[in-house]
Amino acid sequence: MAFAWKDWPGRKNNHTSAGADIQTFMTDQCALFARAGEDFRVDVLVAEGDTVAQGAPVLRSRRNPELVLVAPAAGEVAAIDLGPGRRLAHILFFHAPAAGRHVHDAAPARKGGDAAATRALLLSAGLWPLLRSRPFGRVPAPAEAPSAIFVMALDTRPDAPSPRLALEGREEDFACGLRALAGLTDGPVILCQDGGPDIAAADGRCRIRKAAAVHPHGLAGFQLAGLHPAGPDRIVWDIHAEDVAAIGALLATGLIPETRLVSVSGPALRETRLVRCQPGADLRALIFDIVRPGPHRLLSGSALDGVEGRWLGRWHRQATAVADAPRATYPHWFSAALRRAGRPLPIIPTAALDHAFGGLLPAAPLVRALSANDAETATRLGALSLVEEDLALADYVTGASPRLSAMLRAMLDRIAAEGAS
Amino acid sequence: MRGLWDRETVALLLLAAVLPLAVTWLLAEGAAGLLRLLFVLFVAGVWHVVFMLARAQPPSFAGAVTALAIAVLAPIDLGPLPLVIGVSFGVVAGELAFGGWGRNVVNPATVTLAFLGFGFPAALWPSLPVQLGWSVGAVVLIGVVTGVMSWRAVAGAVLVLAAGSPWLATPALTAAAVVLVVLVCDPVTSAATGLGRWLYGLLYGALVLLFVFGWSGASPVRIAVSAALLASLAAPLLDELAIRLWLARRKRLG
Repeated sequence: MAFAWKDWPGRKNNHTSAGADIQTFMTDQCALFARAGEDFRVDVLVAEGDTVAQGAPVLRSRRNPELVLVAPAAGEVAAIDLGPGRRLAHILFFHAPAAGRHVHDAAPARKGGDAAATRALLLSAGLWPLLRSRPFGRVPAPAEAPSAIFVMALDTRPDAPSPRLALEGREEDFACGLRALAGLTDGPVILCQDGGPDIAAADGRCRIRKAAAVHPHGLAGFQLAGLHPAGPDRIVWDIHAEDVAAIGALLATGLIPETRLVSVSGPALRETRLVRCQPGADLRALIFDIVRPGPHRLLSGSALDGVEGRWLGRWHRQATAVADAPRATYPHWFSAALRRAGRPLPIIPTAALDHAFGGLLPAAPLVRALSANDAETATRLGALSLVEEDLALADYVTGASPRLSAMLRAMLDRIAAEGAS
Repeated sequence: MRGLWDRETVALLLLAAVLPLAVTWLLAEGAAGLLRLLFVLFVAGVWHVVFMLARAQPPSFAGAVTALAIAVLAPIDLGPLPLVIGVSFGVVAGELAFGGWGRNVVNPATVTLAFLGFGFPAALWPSLPVQLGWSVGAVVLIGVVTGVMSWRAVAGAVLVLAAGSPWLATPALTAAAVVLVVLVCDPVTSAATGLGRWLYGLLYGALVLLFVFGWSGASPVRIAVSAALLASLAAPLLDELAIRLWLARRKRLG
């Protein structure tokens, strides 16, 4: 479904401007944080007040000690906040460029062809969490072997930054990163891109898939469902093209790129802007000078699938400010009771619903299976290839209550728990 | 963020789509038609209110589309009591008992009409004015452009009916067209997959042709309503068939 925020008053289309014009904007604060409900138990390798170089290890997973998270920016560790059981809540950093950059030893992986060394480097340099594993949409386990890797050089979310722009001038890093990824899987590496010229050369393992640049075709979930569905014994990874270039840069120099391309947009802003900022950047700092007066909410991610929060999320490349809905007048008890009694609200299969699934999956039967919590049918219809972000458009279009993405997440968690036991 | 396409939006768009048909029918029938429509609306509305109070099911504007379909297509020489019984049976057993519009398996208007047809076999079915057939074009246009009616189901039915049109009289075509838009294209009870919708439309058209040739003495409206009932009962089967085919094609993906 063609989906554009043409009616946003503050919209200025500057996405076509050349990559050189994009301002690098390192926010004063940034954070490493766990998503709500994420059970990530860590050993902290630094103390409050320490000065850390950008890319230096700061966290080690207790469950998978190979997996390390690194400082998103050079500076000082301002606060460490762990929940019960040493679960990560967040670690706050103050930006101070003088602290320099940490150089990782990429030599063993660079010599080429050594998949184990590449894997070890990605794990120790903190780039591993940029990968996402399906089914279930998690950070892959260190020993996991995917049957395919999808590289998303296409992002069709409203106001998303163009991956082509992010890759401008980094073609060599990108090609190098693609080769490294090919070493991690025995299956294909599928590069999804728009209909323009090829972003990288296709060779034996790397295939190019050209998809329509309309939402939701640019979501990894639907590309995956159409080409290489994920299943219980068929793990598929996806990763954004810019992160592949980051892997290439790490292999070439031992340094982790400091910034990622992020678009800042939303109806609560006076204009739309593209910036290069560090991962985990402070969303408030990104918008403070262009925000309209009045209450607003900050989302990490697009207006459709964004998560409310203060920091830019791990897989997100958009900061969105939406006007806070005026507090609804308290509904009459009778209408409130009617609405609650009807949940999950029925969803009428219309053309709008089909478009929200890109015409790639049987929308109405899948939505029915999700509403009925029928995991078997949903699995049969391809639900294991999807994560929450893939159903965000359907949620928006149908106004589903409870949200389809929440029902999918609950179902995926249940399937994962049943599979683990 | 809340979207537009919730249940009541779809119901209102369906209502908007059938308005050309409603106006054409009211112009042809006059005050008697209006009275009949209001009567059916009242009976269906009472049941919606009863279920709202007893079962907390929010009423839906789709009830008005149902009422219009019943008023246009129900046998005309029934007294008020059989009509009340028929409407009550259709609305309660066809829709409200399942949890309201959006969860029902068959269209309540189809159930009502089939019930009246079987319960009162001697009743006289209406002969639809010919201009009603022409208003169907506008209905299909609004329904398909807004996406609340499936163009595949319409196309399937039109293909078969066009192929059979040399043998179909105008009353039969008019009845088939009106039933197509008010009963067959209901988005809830029609098939829900791409191929399923094609098959559903084709099946409806084929059943109309079959009944025209094989059911002597049946009136055109009765033929079309029976075809709609059988087609909507077969819709889940057609969907399952389409999904099986889709899964078989995906086998090669692994």
